[in-house]
Amino acid sequence: MTASAGDDTPSGPPAVIRESLQGKYSGFASRFTAFVVDVGVSLGVFMLALAAIWFAARVLTGQDIAWHKGDIWVIIAYAVWAFIYFAYSWAASGRTAGMALFGVRVVRDDGTDASGRRAVVRTLALPLSFLFLGLGFVGILLGDRRRALHDVIAGTAVIYSWDARAARLRFLSRG
Amino acid sequence: MVTRREALAQAVTERAVELVVSALDVNALLDEVDLNAVLDQVDINRVLDRIDLDRLLSRMDLNAIVQHIDFDSLVEQTDLGAIIAASSSGVAGEALDAVRSQTVGLDEFIARWIGRLRRRPYTGPPGPPDGLQTKAGT
Repeated sequence: MTASAGDDTPSGPPAVIRESLQGKYSGFASRFTAFVVDVGVSLGVFMLALAAIWFAARVLTGQDIAWHKGDIWVIIAYAVWAFIYFAYSWAASGRTAGMALFGVRVVRDDGTDASGRRAVVRTLALPLSFLFLGLGFVGILLGDRRRALHDVIAGTAVIYSWDARAARLRFLSRG
Repeated sequence: MVTRREALAQAVTERAVELVVSALDVNALLDEVDLNAVLDQVDINRVLDRIDLDRLLSRMDLNAIVQHIDFDSLVEQTDLGAIIAASSSGVAGEALDAVRSQTVGLDEFIARWIGRLRRRPYTGPPGPPDGLQTKAGT
């Protein structure tokens, strides 16, 4: 698939990263895969926390706690945890674990660092982008600045933060 | 009369010089020149002092020169590649580069197809935002 995207070598990096992508607006695939990783990470940590609570309760009280993923308080607890995970990550460094993995970062729409307030607004607005079959994400595909609905609401954008050109040179140097 | 004589003398002299030059083996002559001795007599520092490097550089379009450099082949053919490889962060860094590169490839693939569907030529990732452009400019 990536060969059609302009590869000049069968297993090499795409031709586009002959230039450094740093600061350019991130594409859909990078953002989507980063988000999938973030959901996995946040769910994994949440389930580990539930397991730890279950274990502690069993040791202390001798009774098992029955978890059901449909329990409303479990859903609420996860929603709160997900809010903290995304909002804190974007406020602190502009990136979540998934975004760090894929080399993308949230910034204000003028390119400066995202503030805590924008991070909170962005997190609260994120669910809105999923409404109407994910219509809010169309802006990433069609917009000149590749912004989703929650980006527009929060006044943010997502950019590439890794030096693609340096990565290409490292790839070439490995022969 | 004087002018005719001078012209004749000039023509004779030019012909004589031509004959001498054609008879000379310049390569053999150069072989006999001790260039080291010549260079020993030249004060390179004094020559360099007389060169206005700022003026020289201001007349050169360095960006155009850099554009002509094939960095990819440079990295492949020189020790620069080894230096860059040594400065990389090992297996984890390589894996990270690979994952990111492939994802960027997918970004480009999608963007190219969207461009085709919209009948708008795709010229690469847009950006950066104004603030980052300002930073880059400074």
